[in-house]
This record gives sequence, C-alpha cells and structure tokens, in this order.
Amino acid sequence: MRLRRLWRPTPLKRHYDVIIIGGGVHGLATAYYLSRDFGITDVAVLESQYLGFGGSGRNTAIVRANQRTPENVRLYDEGLKLWRVLTDELDFNLMFFNCGSLLLGHSEASVGAFRMAASTHNFMGVHSELLDPRQCAEVIPGLDISDRPAFPIHAGLYHPPGGIVRHDAVVWGLAKGAAAHGVHIHQGCEVRGIDTDRGRVTGVRTSLGDIGCNRLGIMAGGYSSAIAAMLGIELPIHPLTIQAMVTHPLKPFLHHVFSSTAYHVYANQTLKGEIATGAHMDPQVNYTTDATAYYLKHQAEALVDLMPALRGVRFMRIWAGLADMTPDMAPIMEGHLGYDGLFLDAGWGYFGFKSGPVAGKYMAEYMATGERPEILEAFQLKRFLENRYSGETAAVMKYGHWD
Amino acid sequence: MVADAGAKTGGGLADRGSPDPSVGRPDCRRPPSHGRLPEGRLPPGPTCRVDLSQPLEFSFLGRPVTGFAGDTVASALYASGVRIFGRSLKYHRPRGLYSMEGESSNTLMAIDKVPNECAETTELKAGMSVRAQNVRGDPQTDRFAFIDRFDRMMPAGFYYRLFHRPYRLWPLFQNGLRRMAGTGVLDPRRGLEEGIRGEGGIRVEGGIEVEGARMGSDVRAERYLNAEVAIVGGGAAGMSAALAAAERGLRVCLFERRPWLGGHLVWRVRDFEGEPLHRRAEKLAVRLRAAENVKVFTSSPVTGVWGENLVTGFTSGAEGDLFRECHWECRAKTVVVAAGCMERPLVFNHNDRPGVMQVGAVWRLARTYAVLPGGVAIFSVGDDLSLEAAADLADLGVKIRAVADAREAVRQDAALVTALEERGIPVLAGWAASRVMGRKQVKGCELGALKGEASRRFGCDLVVANAGMQPRIGALATVGARLAYCGHTHTYQPVELPGGVFAAGSMTGLRDPRAIEASGRLAGERAVESCGGSAPGPDESLPEPAPGCDIRHGPDIGRGAKAFVDFDEDGTYKNVVESAAQGFDVPELAKRFGGFGLGPGQYRVAGQNLAMIMADLRGDPVETATPTTVRPPLVPPSLATLAGPGHDVHKRTPLHGELAARGAIFRRAGPWLRPRYFSEDTSCRKEIRNVRRNVGILDSSPLGKFRIFGPDALKALQRVYISDMRKAPRGHCKYSAMCNDMGQLVDDGVVIREGENEYYFTTSSGRAGSTVEWFRYHTRYDRWDYNLVNLTDVLGSLNIAGPNARRVLERVTDDEVSNEVLPYLGCRRITVADGVEARCLRLGFVGELSFELHVPSSYCQFVWDLVVEAGADFGIRPFGLEAQYCLRAEKGHVIIGAESEARVTLTDIGMGWLWDCGDTAAKKVGAPALRACEKQPGRMRLVGFRVDEGSGSPRDGAVVVDGAKIVGYVCTTRRSEALGWQYGMAMVREGVAVRGGRTHIRQEETPGRGESCSATVVPTPFYDPGGRRLRA
Ligand SMILES: Cc1cc2nc3c(=O)[nH]c(=O)nc-3n(C[C@H](O)[C@H](O)[C@H](O)COP(=O)(O)OP(=O)(O)OC[C@H]3O[C@@H](n4cnc5c(N)ncnc54)[C@H](O)[C@@H]3O)c2cc1C
Repeated sequence: MRLRRLWRPTPLKRHYDVIIIGGGVHGLATAYYLSRDFGITDVAVLESQYLGFGGSGRNTAIVRANQRTPENVRLYDEGLKLWRVLTDELDFNLMFFNCGSLLLGHSEASVGAFRMAASTHNFMGVHSELLDPRQCAEVIPGLDISDRPAFPIHAGLYHPPGGIVRHDAVVWGLAKGAAAHGVHIHQGCEVRGIDTDRGRVTGVRTSLGDIGCNRLGIMAGGYSSAIAAMLGIELPIHPLTIQAMVTHPLKPFLHHVFSSTAYHVYANQTLKGEIATGAHMDPQVNYTTDATAYYLKHQAEALVDLMPALRGVRFMRIWAGLADMTPDMAPIMEGHLGYDGLFLDAGWGYFGFKSGPVAGKYMAEYMATGERPEILEAFQLKRFLENRYSGETAAVMKYGHWD
Repeated sequence: MVADAGAKTGGGLADRGSPDPSVGRPDCRRPPSHGRLPEGRLPPGPTCRVDLSQPLEFSFLGRPVTGFAGDTVASALYASGVRIFGRSLKYHRPRGLYSMEGESSNTLMAIDKVPNECAETTELKAGMSVRAQNVRGDPQTDRFAFIDRFDRMMPAGFYYRLFHRPYRLWPLFQNGLRRMAGTGVLDPRRGLEEGIRGEGGIRVEGGIEVEGARMGSDVRAERYLNAEVAIVGGGAAGMSAALAAAERGLRVCLFERRPWLGGHLVWRVRDFEGEPLHRRAEKLAVRLRAAENVKVFTSSPVTGVWGENLVTGFTSGAEGDLFRECHWECRAKTVVVAAGCMERPLVFNHNDRPGVMQVGAVWRLARTYAVLPGGVAIFSVGDDLSLEAAADLADLGVKIRAVADAREAVRQDAALVTALEERGIPVLAGWAASRVMGRKQVKGCELGALKGEASRRFGCDLVVANAGMQPRIGALATVGARLAYCGHTHTYQPVELPGGVFAAGSMTGLRDPRAIEASGRLAGERAVESCGGSAPGPDESLPEPAPGCDIRHGPDIGRGAKAFVDFDEDGTYKNVVESAAQGFDVPELAKRFGGFGLGPGQYRVAGQNLAMIMADLRGDPVETATPTTVRPPLVPPSLATLAGPGHDVHKRTPLHGELAARGAIFRRAGPWLRPRYFSEDTSCRKEIRNVRRNVGILDSSPLGKFRIFGPDALKALQRVYISDMRKAPRGHCKYSAMCNDMGQLVDDGVVIREGENEYYFTTSSGRAGSTVEWFRYHTRYDRWDYNLVNLTDVLGSLNIAGPNARRVLERVTDDEVSNEVLPYLGCRRITVADGVEARCLRLGFVGELSFELHVPSSYCQFVWDLVVEAGADFGIRPFGLEAQYCLRAEKGHVIIGAESEARVTLTDIGMGWLWDCGDTAAKKVGAPALRACEKQPGRMRLVGFRVDEGSGSPRDGAVVVDGAKIVGYVCTTRRSEALGWQYGMAMVREGVAVRGGRTHIRQEETPGRGESCSATVVPTPFYDPGGRRLRA
C-alpha cells in the first residue's frame, strides 16, 4: 500500500478568495464543497492548532436524525445520508457504524415527547419507533428495566438510521478531499483579528501574518463567538465545557447507542470496543475544557444504574471540549452578518458533528451564491431578536446564571 | 459513606496490630509448610512479602494453580510457570509480564468474570478464577496467531483505506473488525438479577452463591477528606514531605498505590550509610506512622489531581475493611507530588516477547515475591538503578550474560560497573538490545552498538530492558503544571507549577536517597509556607539530578521485525514512520491516526517515546517535542467504585409512608417522589370520578411555599410576577405567573397578602428550588430590602377536592368555611381539630370545589388522618398526579412543560390576560418580550380541540398535520368521562388555531402503522366553562 500525505503542505498566500476560520468538520466540509461543487478553489482553511483540535476531535461521534422539529429533522436527515456518500467520494473509510440509537425516557411525559418525535419522523420518512421498556431491553440486553434504578425506564425512542462515525476520519477525509480540489490547509495559524473596509470583509490578521480575502467564514466551533466579537458582533452563544470518557476496550456487547436525558448520559461501544460515554455540560460558562472529577463519578453512577453489568468496567480516559450553546439548541447559519462577505456557522453545541458535512454543503452554497439556501431559513440569527425559538428543545434552557 | 473516625490510618488499613505490612513487612521469612521451596520460588529474603507457608489455591483457565499469601495474581502465575498472559489486540501476539505496575494491557485478565483486571497489581485471593484475554482457544496456541504475519497489509491507518469499496460490503467488514477489537469479555446481563447492587453500602444478600464470598463483599464506600497537605506517593520523598509538614502541625493525607510504603526502596538491599536501603524506608515509615496529624492511605492509587487541588482516588479494601473498594476525594490546600519514576520502555525488535521485562518487574519478582524470574538474562538498560538490579539479581542466582547500557561509559556509576565486572558480567556501554529471538518465549537476544555495526548474540530466557527512567508526571500534568523537556535528565520536568503544588523525589531526576528525602522535606516545608506557616531554609547541598538517557530505540530498528512503541494497540515503530509519512507527524495526530497511547496504558507506555521518535522523524530537536496530553484517570477506577453505594436523593413528603400503605404507585417528579396512581388502572377512572362526583384528597406537599416580607417585598413581587401584584387584596389568592426574559412561562401560583409588607405565595413544585435565586437574580441591582423564606419543606399541603369537600372540611374544623366567608380564591387561617393552625386556600385547579390546607409538615399525618376519617362516610379516597393531570386538563389549566415550551410566550398559550402592562416602572421580567411578540404574525398557539367522534383516538404527542406539513402537536389529550368525548390541547401554527377549524391529527409510533383522526378546535375550558362548580 502506497502511503501518501492526506493533504499536501502548501505555501501560505497573502490573499485568498475565501478564508475559513476553523479546521473542524464544519470548516473543512465547507471548503470541500466550495471547491468541489462551486469551482471555488482559491480557499484557505486556517486552523490555530491542528485539524480536529476542537469539538470535531473530541466528540462521541453519535449521528442521528431524530430531532424534535421538522426543520431540524430535515437537515439532520440529509446529513445522515451523507456518510456513505462521502465515504465513497473521499475514498476514505469514515466507518459509519449504522447501529441505531435508543433514547430512553424516564417518565410518563417522556412517552408523549417520544410519540411526538416518532410521529414527526415517520411522517417525514425518517424511521423512529416508540418502545416500551420490555422492547428497550430486547434492543439492548443489559438495560435494567426494573424499578431499581433511581430513574426507572418508561419508554424508548428507537431510531435505526442513527449510529456512530469515526470522528477523526471525517476530519481527515474532508481535509484530504478539500486539498485534492486545491484548498490550502494551514495548521498552527491563529486568526487574531478581522479587517473590514466600508462594510466589507477584507482579510484576517493571523499568527502567521495578515491574509486578505473576499469572503470569510467563521466556523470555529466553541470559539466562534469570540471571533465574531472581534468585529463587535455579539452572538447569543454560551460556550460551556462538556466532557466525555471511555472505558477499557471490551468485546462487542453493546450494539446500539443509548442515551438518557434524565441521567444526562449517552453511551455507545466504539469499533475498538471502548464504551464511549458523554456527560452533561458544566453548569457554568467557561472556555477551560478541563475535565472534572465530578463527571467521572456522575457518569459512573448513571451507567451502572442503567446497565448494572458495567459495574466491573473501568474508565480509562476522560477529556473535554467546548459546546457552543444557543438558547434554543439549534445552530446559527448566517450570511452577510453585519458585513458583506462575512459568514457564520456556529452554535452547534454538542450536536454539530453529525451535521458537519450537510451544514458545510449548504454553507458552501450560501458563500458561493450569496443566496441563503431555503433549508437554512430556520437557522437565522434574527430568530433570537424576534423571540422565535426553533423548538429544538422543548424545555426553556438555562446556561450558567439566570438569563 | 464511611465515617471519618479520625483514626490515624485510613483506607485500606485499619490498625490491625503488628507487624503492619505498610510499615515493615509481614513476617515472610517463615519456611514453606512442607519444608521444601515450592517450584519457581526463591528462598524468601529480607524484603520478601509473600508468605510461603500460606498457600492459596486458585485457577487459571480452569486449571488449579497454587500461589501464596502476599502474591499478586501475576506473580503467582509467573511462579507457576505461566509466561503467556494474553494475546495482543491486533496481531494476537503472545504477551507476558512486563512492568508489574499494570502499565499496559499485556496482563489484563478476566478475574472472576470481571474483564480487564490488572493481574500485575491485583492481590491474589484464594478461589479466584483467572482467564487470559483476547485469546481464541488456548493462549499458547491462539488460533488467530497467524494474523501476525499479515502486518504488511496493515500499515498505520489502514482501516481508513480499506473495506469501504464497494460500500455494501462494509457492514460485513465492520462486524469482523468489531469482533477482533476489544479485549475483555463482558456479559451484559450480569448483575440484572437482583443482588449485585449493594444498597446503602451493604450488599443485599440475594443467594448469589455462584460468585462466592467475593461478590458477597462487593461493598463500595465513599469518603470525603480534606487536608492541608495531600501527598501523592508514599516513597522516601513523600514520607519526608509528610513528616516535615506534620511536624509543623499541618493536617496531612498521604496516598500510596502499593499496599506498603517505601517506594522503590522497599526491594533494595544495597547498603547505604551503613544499612540496607529497605531498612531506611522502613524506619521512615515507622516515624510516619507515629506522627500526629498524618493519615496514611495505602493500596490507594490517585486517579487525578484536579482543579483547586482536588485529589481523587480509591482504596482497595484489605481484610477487616468494611468495603471492597472505597472512592475518596480529598480537597487539599496544597499538594506534594512525589510519584516517583517508571521505566521508559525500550523500543527494539520484538520487545514484546514474553520474557522481555522491565528491570523493576524482574527485581520485584525476585525481591518482593520470591519468584525466580529466569535462568539466564540479558540486560539492556539506561540508568544506574538497573545496574544495581543486575548485580543484585546475579547474587540471587540469575545468570546474567551481559549488560548493555545505552549511556556512554562516563555517565555510569563506576562502583556499580565494578560490582558487575566483579561478578563476571560484561558491561557494554553505548549498546542496546536490537532483537529478541523466540516466539512464545525469549530464547535469545542480540545486542548491538548504538554507533557502528558491532553486535553480539546471546542465548537467554529473560531480557531485562528499559531506556532509563521517566517520571510519573500524570498527577502534575492533570493539575495543570507546564512540563518541558529537560536535556540533562532527558525527561519531561515541571517548569511551572500551579499554586500550592510541589514536586519532589526521584521524579525530579534525583537518585541519591538523601537528596530524595531532602527534596521531600523541602516540598513539605514549601507546603507549610503556602499554608501560612514558616519553614527553615533549604537543606545542605546534596547531589543534583543524575544525567539521564536519551536513547530512542535499539539498533536495526524495524528490520524484518516489529518493535513496539505501544503494546495495547500493537503500535510499532514502523507505524510511527507510516503515520508521519501520511502527514500525521505530531504526537497528538499520530496518536489518533496510528493508535499510540489510546489503550489501557494510555500515555504511560507510548508517551515520551512517541514524542522523541516523532521529533527525530521530523528532523526537529527533541526539545521541541510535545508529548500527547495526559488525561485522567491516572489509574483506571471501576465504575462500581466511582458510583459508590448508590444514593437515592429524592425527597419524600411527610405522607410518604401513608400513601405507600394505600397502594400508591410512585414516580419521580422533579426532586420528589410522588404518587402517580392509586391502582393499576393508569386511566385513573375511579380516582377522577370520585373527585368529580364526590370528594378526593391529594398530597400536594411538594408545592412551593414561600413567605416574603420587608419594605420592598411588593416591589420584588412586581418585578417577577407578570400581573399587578398591588392588586392582591388581603385574604384573597391572586393567581399569577412568572415569565423569563423571553416571555416564556416559567412558573405559576397564587400570592396572598397577609399583612403590611408581608406576603405568602406558592409556586409549582418543580420550580420551588429555584425561586429564591430567581428573585435575588432579578432584583440584584436594586438594593431592595426584603426577606424571602422557602417554606416548601416546612409546610405540608393537603388538597380536598370535590362537591363534598366542604362537608368533609366542616367536620374537622369549627371555623366557618362557607362560600360567604371563604369564597372561591379566598384564603383564611383555620384551626383544625383543637389546635393545628392551617392556611386554608380555596382554589380550583381540578375544577371542583376544593380546599388546600397548608399545615406544618409534622402535623400532616395527623390532619390527613382526621380528614380521611371525616370523609369516610362520603367515600373520600386519595387521588394521584395522573388524576390531577386529567382533571385540570378538562379545565384547560396549563401545566408548565406540558402545555408550554420554548417556542411560545405566555400570550401564545392563552394566558396573556395575566400580564398587566400598566406598571412599566416595575420592569417586569418578560414584559418587553411579551410586548414585542404581542402582534407578531405566525406564532404558535395553544388551542383546545375535540376529537371528532369515531374518527380515532390520538394520544399525547400525536402531530397536527396540514397536507404534507406538520403544523403542530398534541400536548395533552384524554377521553373524559365527565364530558363524554375526547378533548385535548395542542400547540399549533397560527392558521390552525381558528375556533371551529378542523384539524388533522396523525400518530405513527411505528413506521407504517400510523393512525389518523380529525378534530375540531374548541374553546377551553372543556368542563364547566362557566366555572360554577369551583365557586359552589
Ligand atoms: C465531548 C463532546 C461530545 C460531543 N458529542 C457529539 C456527538 O455525539 N454528536 C454530535 O453530532 N456532536 C457532538 N459534539 C459536538 C461536535 O463535536 C461539535 O459541534 C462539532 O465538532 C463542531 O465542529 P466545528 O467544525 O464547528 O468546530 P470545531 O471542531 O470545534 O473546530 C473549530 C476549530 O477552530 C479552531 N479555531 C478556534 N479559534 C481559532 C482562531 N482564532 N484561528 C484559527 N482557528 C481557530 C479550533 O482550534 C478548532 O479546531 C460533541 C462535542 C463535545 C465537546
């Protein structure tokens, strides 16, 4: 097997037509589609650390389309269908493990919420099923459906099209694909300022010098609001640390993703055999990405309650990343944001891996044509000014202090 | 939780008489019971910790094996001749003992069906059943061993390039890959049968005979400590630090992962200042045990040092402990990290063969466990300690053919070299191992010069190898120390430590025992200083850190052989090269791409080697190499231990026992445990009917209850409530709501003016816990003077509802409760029986005549009994949350979360009438949003509907559709006995919300099995729209 660099080192030019800030799935996917579908190849992706340093290299890689509202289901469903397409296009195995996901409900109210989700999904042609506890245990043997757990299982929302993807492979594969179409990828290049002139974006100041551009995409994950703030743009985004951990590897015994909102836990068994499990976000706004002892313990409490066999399993590693949370748990995808040529794709919280490629596809269209694609209508920034939340979460979210 | 009884010893070591194994040694020099030395054992020496007179029977692969008290599982297996402990992940190569510290997956085994237990560190117990992992068939003849020959097809990252074309075959490959991956085997159904989970720290005995006594004591405790100085590591430095700090009166907790104190001195017999080194450690340990203020925790690995100096770990229970493992957290003012060193693995060809071991492993097998590690050995090492080991092992009878030392001759301790030469062992400076011969076991070893071509081959059954020492930097790294490569010790050393964190001992590069102790004392004294005390100046000058070894790998690396950088995922030197060639040329990327340091060994095995090799490959100076990030936990804790005994933190109302006795079926509701049903009939027909036609009683104690008073109390109420609270008349319940800044409903309840600047109010039960914070937050800039008291837990509440409610109430109070004196929404204080003062609120949530009695929690049961007795003639019966849910829904009363959500404001859900827009000076929370949205088109609305008879029966969550579009969903719907039809409330797009409009409802719980029905939008309330019944 001949081994070649996945993406070539390229010289840093002084000007690009398009600059993308952020070497995560969103930035790379946008660059990939810009160069592939729109012939815009004078593109640079600037990444302050290394590709996948942000959420894209830290997530638990769960992909699914069982969102709450039709606008979101539509986008995520298209995203879900892209994995196999991209695997082929990029000639890079993204290792989509189509294992299906099971969301557990722990109250009577969750049954109604799940019925709404299932009805919405199936109406839109996305497969979901409402399960009773016994059926949950048939799908995932080992779940404790007795009333021993602190939050007994009441229902499940089973979603066979979901699964997990190898997150690093997506980053690398997209980089490979973008580079093959001529995109320049610059790691270790931190954007420190944005230049504008008469209402237009003209370039960025970076740790490697000033670079001019005609169009700029802010796709810097948890750091996006800080970058927008360089232009005085305030975004309704709360960056919060969110943690994940893996256990020692085991032979396959968990063949689905499961998650539970009451326990704030989601888990799956990776292709390598580790149980990868994620936790809730830190209660207060912060950029630290510090892991905490609290979540290690909390997570163990939740997991052994839900699946007692996990008692003997050991945690091997815990890490954290940033979740850029909007008040309605839906992203902001916006163009001409205060300045001509300024685009933003952020606010993806802890659910933006699955949607990376599809968001990139439509952001590329937006950036190339200047026209907002219809599917992105629901994700405009102005919805917050108009107090029209997307309904992606029913609950009224609260991050950090009251607000 | 284990009470912290203040005993001087903690964790795994209750004081249990002398000899305390954590100090000196148990008396292990006793001869074996039958007089002869068991096979594979050495005569027990002065540092031995195995009692050869106490055999322990256990099984390996079902075959009986004998070990001895004091053995680890690994030492016992090794002594009995086992060399292959398991098979490697990718290539199924045989793997054996390596470090005796559990640094890699090589010796992870299934013990008593628990996978991935570390044989090297798990204490042997009689009856254990031990199995090898990742083995098909027998570990000796593993059926998958052939994979080892196909490595050329598996370069770094090969799986990204293979298996996906054509895509339809991928699931097949994927399942194959999955089955090959992973090591331990877990039965997911294990533990589902009652019994494994302990309750309140004590296991429920459920007849689990199968698992024997071990499962019987599966108690996990937890313990929360605090200390002025927490010390990580109980070696000479850690102990010296503890003594220094304790002598100045500080409270010290010392954590040591091994079952005994003394670090790497405990197996060393070399003379130093007139006594053997192990004696020196024992003396320190004795002093430490005698010191005031010191708690020593042995068998207690630290899992992490986190922000704000939180030290966490766990303790394995020893005999006499009431737990099997105990999770602890120690909040410390200062932390001294004296975690010592581990050996840097030497990367050379076939460095994973069973029989290749690190120096410490071999030395401890012999000195600690009285196991003969091998007959003929070759050493390839990089530090003086290893030379000392070689001499010592030679004295114990191991024939050492040669010692290769990667360092130049000038860097070696001349005395040790002489000692080796005296024993006839050639020392080859500037040489290292290049290759191991033998497949399942070492048969020989080739040594080569690092510069030049010279090489020599030796026959041997043991290869003792390392690349010198590397500090155990885990605790420093996780607490946020900045580490940098040190060109003198060739290790990563802290260059910047967070506040209150100090490093000491051999991890800082020191090798001289006196210097190590002095550095510990100094760290202890620095800790004293940062706790505000004063400490003497620095000690006398002592030897500086010794120069280290910077070897990257053995000669001839990768030539026709695998040289492992990472054992867990079979990451070879060649794979590192391949990663770099594909652009993954920094450790953090290579780690993910090639799989170095992602397995059980984490950064510990691969970390420094990967960084150094990568720097070489890039052509950068080694100083620029940044190893991969250290991630906790530093030692893997089991989920059971982390989870602890399992606390159920739900609150119970004062009537919990009573309700349980009446057959209540409880559900968690917010922080509370509440009755949802009182029979198996989840439609609650009887409960509902009884309220509608007769009288029912509900325990509504979780209702939020508050008192607010003070000169600015009214202002505060005006701020958070959306109505004009100035209009709350005395003796009357004013119903209102709270919104958030987005105008969304967050709470509702009643407010009662009880006196001058004094109010009593209720909140929904889910919201009670946040109410004080909410008031304070929204008035934080106003400097208002008011007091807010949460009475939720102090007062219980009973709701008597139904047409007969008044008649029941009249029987328990002499006070007047007539419609005139206590009309709908009235409130007055009454006396129940002869002396219980109660607030009596006349409310109508369920739509019937109803009284809510708020009484002190301690009287709840008494009042309940009275009411129930008084209502017996009427057939009073308790009703639960589900019945209440239905009753109020028939009235169109909204429950937050059920008929409200993030997309809708108070106005959208039809409660806009509560908003008083007059008093703008009050700056009501949510008012600007309500104003902005008031006339906005296209918002969602809450509407009532009536399901068209015979068209179907949708349930909560069904969606409202308009052609191919989803335009809303059903929040709540029920068939009502009182109404005779199915009613419901739905959240719908504006156009749908027209009275009399027909809507289409669809529900599809399973694809293809959808049901549809039609409904008509009707006004709410559905039941008793005029409200006559609640005013009766
Ligand atoms: C623990 C965890 C678990 C998660 N689990 C899931 C999951 O299961 N499913 C799912 O769908 N999503 C999940 N997510 C969310 C998902 O990872 C993110 O939403 C997604 O990766 C965002 O991708 P991105 O490309 O927008 O941003 P990122 O991947 O964060 O990339 C942004 C990049 O921008 C770079 N950058 C920042 N500032 C600058 C600057 N000034 N100059 C240059 N570069 C800069 C950063 O270094 C970073 O590499 C999880 C996230 C975390 C943290």
